[in-house]
Amino acid sequence: MRLWELIRTGLFEIYAHKTRSFLSFLSISIGVAAMLYTFSQVNGMFVQFNKALDLVGHGRLEIERKEDYRSRGLSPGLTYQDALALRRLMPELHMVSPVAQQWSQRFRYGGFSSEEPVLYGVTPEWAKRDWVYTLRGRFINDDDVLFAKRVCVMRMPGGWDEKPWWAVFWEDSKYDDFAAHNDLLDRQITLGDNLFTVVGVIKEPPRDKDPRWFSREWGSPIYIPISTYQKIMRLSNRGGKPDEVREINIDVGRGELVPAYQRRIKAVLLERHRGEEDFKIIDFRDRFQNILKNQRETARQVMAVGIVAILAGGIGIMNVTLATIYSRIKEIGIRRAIGARRRDILLQFLLEAMTLGFFGGIAGIALGYGGIWYLGRRSAETLAALELWHFAATLAIAVGTGFIFSVIPAYQASRLDPVEALRYE
Amino acid sequence: MIRFEDVAKIYGTGATGFEALGGVSFQVRAGEFVAVVGPSGCGKSTLLNILGLLDQPSRGLYALGGREVGTLGDGERSQLRRVKIGFVFQSFNLLPRFSALENVALPMSYAGMGMEERRARAAGLLDRVGLKSKSLQTPLELSGGERQRVSIARALANSPDVILADEPTGNLDSRSSAEILGLIRELHAQGKTVFLVTHDPGIASSAERVLSIKDGRIIEDRRR
Repeated sequence: MRLWELIRTGLFEIYAHKTRSFLSFLSISIGVAAMLYTFSQVNGMFVQFNKALDLVGHGRLEIERKEDYRSRGLSPGLTYQDALALRRLMPELHMVSPVAQQWSQRFRYGGFSSEEPVLYGVTPEWAKRDWVYTLRGRFINDDDVLFAKRVCVMRMPGGWDEKPWWAVFWEDSKYDDFAAHNDLLDRQITLGDNLFTVVGVIKEPPRDKDPRWFSREWGSPIYIPISTYQKIMRLSNRGGKPDEVREINIDVGRGELVPAYQRRIKAVLLERHRGEEDFKIIDFRDRFQNILKNQRETARQVMAVGIVAILAGGIGIMNVTLATIYSRIKEIGIRRAIGARRRDILLQFLLEAMTLGFFGGIAGIALGYGGIWYLGRRSAETLAALELWHFAATLAIAVGTGFIFSVIPAYQASRLDPVEALRYE
Repeated sequence: MIRFEDVAKIYGTGATGFEALGGVSFQVRAGEFVAVVGPSGCGKSTLLNILGLLDQPSRGLYALGGREVGTLGDGERSQLRRVKIGFVFQSFNLLPRFSALENVALPMSYAGMGMEERRARAAGLLDRVGLKSKSLQTPLELSGGERQRVSIARALANSPDVILADEPTGNLDSRSSAEILGLIRELHAQGKTVFLVTHDPGIASSAERVLSIKDGRIIEDRRR
């Protein structure tokens, strides 16, 4: 019996039992779709990882305060001066960008007032860091820092290019809404008790196209020169340490240089902090890996769902094959009587089940592709990350499921006693 | 051509065993037309199943064409069945979703014949049984007599030496019966060895030899 004829007989049977076949298709295709989704997620992750790495640079370090550190009173903490010292000692570094941060400064403009914005004290080097913005006006410059000028740069939220389904409950804060709809360039605003001139506005990329998935600045930042920040902190008398910074971002250039610089920076800071290790130096690549670990976990869960669905589909196929065999015992007898070998019968049922799996796989690919396309609109890379071999692999899995789950029923069919089968009504 | 020596078929074992065929011996020359008669449950069908290699004897020797075949494995028996034997059943046993042509061609596909050759050959066979015009109809669209003619054409698919007909006219009216018997006699005239199982003495009388079976034994072997 030729292969094509066996498949044709299979198609015949599938067509003759539409509901039964459809149910098998359905579960197989759900499984296949889940598989496909997992593939695209895993692949998308690597694409994102590389994109993010290109954006931040391969030699990124971040120095942070150690949160749970109990000071012995020797160290002044992580300060602007630390950043200046690092810059002085290592002028070859691509970036040394200290960031100080203060919450709840009252923002006022015209009749609008809000405590939402977060005040960031930065140097011009901040602009070397993950720059994804479009700038109007100018950013903070060296003069601003040198003379502690009352100037600020405001951030305009990027909104959505296409709002994804999960963002239905996303609501911009009142301040973000205000910042998005009022052009304050060259206007004067009040922060706390101080008047500032808005010298620049940076606009974020749309949220769904923002490649900075690894670190979002939550809240609504307003950037001012770090010297100005220190000055108003001293004046405001609200406690806190005016010199202290939240983090120092460093770019050493190439990834291979990271360990060496980690050691050097640690030595310099330990000396400046009089032996107190109240800071930690984070390799950005590690941070990515951690985030990716979470994503991998999610992918694994989806994969588990996919496997369960495929198993269910497989059991469905087994069921269909068994049912097919029971309803065709007579036919098996007839075929045996006219000369079919056990092998012919076995092959026939195997191929029927594999055909079922094949079409389930095709349907699943359509379903999965559609679903991923729909979900994938929020970030362009997810769908682009699907490769041809993913389709081939999922199709192979579907056909393989049909094969594996029909082996036992098909074997049983081939072992039927022809005399008994012929007598069966 | 066909030799049975003390062939028995016993279902079950020991005291509960049922002897469907209890030591049957006979010989049939190539080209003979043998009617097998007897009441129902006498072992006619068991005899036919063993003859047709669908079943294996529990004991005894079955030689087909000078070769012991009763003890062959399933694969070899299937192969022999395919080329040496053609079955005609009382209930036709055609595949309902296949056309007459496809039904006739099916045994050829198991023999590995190509599509074109099969079609041509099957069409020729249908023509021979007078069903040329109905080759694309399914069995459900055919009358009983026509169905039996399709199944005779199918039995001839791989040019077998032996035709085994199990009550071929049991489900047919008298006119169709006469047609089918005519066809079977024609096959005999062309040199096929024919076994015809029946309980109708009138039909048996058209054979040149009658084997009467009762309770699994041959009680009479009569030649005319």
